Amino acid sequence: MSRLGSPVALLGALVAALLGALLAVPLLAAQAQAAGPSPRLSVTVDRTEISTQLGGKFAFRSTITNNDPASVSGLIAHLNVVGLRDGVYVDPEDWSSQRTHYLEPLPAGGSTTITWHVHAVDDGVLGMYIAVLPESGVGLPPATSPMIRLTVAEKQTLNSGGIIPLALGIPALIGLLTLGVRVRRGRQPGR
Amino acid sequence: MAAVEQRPYEASREKGGSGWAIVLAQELRDLWLGGRGLLLSFGFSILLSLIAYLVATNTALNFLEQRESVNLTLQVAIAVGGLLTLLAAADTVSGERERGTLETLLLTPVSRRQVVTGKLLAALSLWLVAFAITVPYVWFLGRGLLIVTEALGTGLVVGTLLAVFLASLGVVISLFAGSNRVSLSVSLFLLLALFAPTQLPSSAQQGWAGELFLRANPITAGEHYVGRIVVNSHSWSEDVSWLLSPLVAAVVFAVAVPVLGARFLRLGGGRAK
Repeated sequence: MSRLGSPVALLGALVAALLGALLAVPLLAAQAQAAGPSPRLSVTVDRTEISTQLGGKFAFRSTITNNDPASVSGLIAHLNVVGLRDGVYVDPEDWSSQRTHYLEPLPAGGSTTITWHVHAVDDGVLGMYIAVLPESGVGLPPATSPMIRLTVAEKQTLNSGGIIPLALGIPALIGLLTLGVRVRRGRQPGR
Repeated sequence: MAAVEQRPYEASREKGGSGWAIVLAQELRDLWLGGRGLLLSFGFSILLSLIAYLVATNTALNFLEQRESVNLTLQVAIAVGGLLTLLAAADTVSGERERGTLETLLLTPVSRRQVVTGKLLAALSLWLVAFAITVPYVWFLGRGLLIVTEALGTGLVVGTLLAVFLASLGVVISLFAGSNRVSLSVSLFLLLALFAPTQLPSSAQQGWAGELFLRANPITAGEHYVGRIVVNSHSWSEDVSWLLSPLVAAVVFAVAVPVLGARFLRLGGGRAK
């Protein structure tokens, strides 16, 4: 009898393992499906170097290609702007009025091109890139484009030298006129 | 207006002058030779100088395109010019009441309708002078581009419509206000309320409701029109529908001034005496 205990226990262990495996496989599969397989995407840009002046407006294009054998939907493309030098303050919201694009489904091997309109609001050396992520891609890395190196030169849009005579001259002129009128009124008899 | 200055109304009237023109001439003398108008214009020029200096020299603001610099200066000029006319107009009747000169004015052989019309036109002179002060700043900021004439033309049209609206509003408030303080306070409050939508985030200005809100408000509609022409280089006719509410407001209130003035220009702040 003592030797019967082992086969029963072994059988029980086998049944338990089998049941566990049967339950665990769909569970794991469900988890994998929730994360979704990372679609094989490639993101390219039409150039990697841009030079402009402060306040300059420019546009560049990015192409997102689906290299997966199946079509992909729910893709989101996002533009990012980063200062490459410490101390350069960058608020990406100021750089483009539309930094996020929700893409139409991409068929297998298909691609789509987005034109990004950018306004250079800070001078310095900056990096820009496009990140594409599937809306169901929790925990998966986004596909990114090569970095675009953006050099924004400082720009003096106005000849500030000429403003001082104007900024001082007009109030001075009106001030003198005011003073003159007041003095004249003061000299009038009966005032 | 001082009581001793009421006599010229009668003297000019006897010479056959038009009633409103006589009141206008007297009010202009009081406003400009009295120094009040010049003092307000002096403050206005200092404000414009500061803005022009900042947009021309400040590195943070310097990325603004020339068109945007011109637009900013022009919009400030229109807004502050409107404020000046509103303040002058809000003092016209309630100020005379408080200074005790309204009774003398009402005894002159000039109709009440002409009195308020003359006063309204005199208040509008502040806007014209404010615009004249704005010209060299706009020229300086916009020189080299072909927008100076367009900017000044748009500024004159929109600014005049808004100034007529605000000055008329000020006179109407002044007719009914119990005191000069009430008149000035209500006028300023209404002006701030009209300007408040310009501070809304751009997302709140989107959609049909946001656009309708902007179009219905004469101030925001006028400023929007100026921006479209100066910054976006639109033609005058392209966005002319935005001028509808400034035009309607200017006409309605300008007509209301003589109509209400004839009936409510009284010693007791609109109350029947």
